[in-house]
Amino acid sequence: MHLKLFVLSASSVVLWLIPLSALDKTLDIHKALQGVSLTAAIACAVTAGNIARKQAEQNEIEEIKTRAITADVVDEIATSAYISQQQRQQEAEQILSGQPEREEAVEALKRAWLLDCKEPSEPVTEPLNQPHDNALTVDEERFTNLNLTKNQAIELIQKMRSELNQTQTIEKLWECKKGGSEAWKRAYAQFKSLMEEGG
Amino acid sequence: MRAIHLANYFVAGCIAFSLLGWVASLHPIAFRAVLCLLAAIAISWGLGWLLDFSLSKLLNISVADLQALLISGLAMLLIGLGVFLCT
Repeated sequence: MHLKLFVLSASSVVLWLIPLSALDKTLDIHKALQGVSLTAAIACAVTAGNIARKQAEQNEIEEIKTRAITADVVDEIATSAYISQQQRQQEAEQILSGQPEREEAVEALKRAWLLDCKEPSEPVTEPLNQPHDNALTVDEERFTNLNLTKNQAIELIQKMRSELNQTQTIEKLWECKKGGSEAWKRAYAQFKSLMEEGG
Repeated sequence: MRAIHLANYFVAGCIAFSLLGWVASLHPIAFRAVLCLLAAIAISWGLGWLLDFSLSKLLNISVADLQALLISGLAMLLIGLGVFLCT
């Protein structure tokens, strides 16, 4: 493409200057040749100009593409750097704030445990006591792993709910992890029924 | 590449004015016709300078570009006719 461009440019100048200077203007044949060569020179110059214009436009497009790719790469690097910095910051914040949260949870559990694990004065209402084998009591439904009665369970849940959320409360009282396990489903159902009855 | 593109168009303009001189040398009537054409070009050129701001808006180019076009047109005319007359 470049060779064609330069050949056309050079030929246009040659076809313009050489016939005008070398040929005689008084002779008709020479004059005709001059006219033909000038016309051909114009054609060559215009063609070369068009080729150069297209080439210049392509070069501009390539330059824009290169600039866009460079900008994309720079943006990607900056974004990844920003994200990794955010992640590091979040991890650091979690590490810094993790200890007090655990301590708070432990405190809440301790308080809940102390509140509900006091020995009651009357053994009949003791929730943790197993019913006597020879006692003539009606089998009352028991809740949670602490084997609490309904009212005790509701009371304990209400106290714990001021410190813990629903999932934490269930996990602590029924000693099961959240998920699709049968224990969790049963615990959740019990918890729901207790909450409905407890208001 | 842009300079080559502009230079080629400039050379094409110069050759066009040489061709105009060649046409003028063919016959006295052609000479008069070319003189009329040159007069019209001269008037247009002068009006182009006078109305450069309006023309630049009309052609959607900057005033500087229009002035560059006018100057290069004059240069093409001088070079083209000069080459034809001096050879």
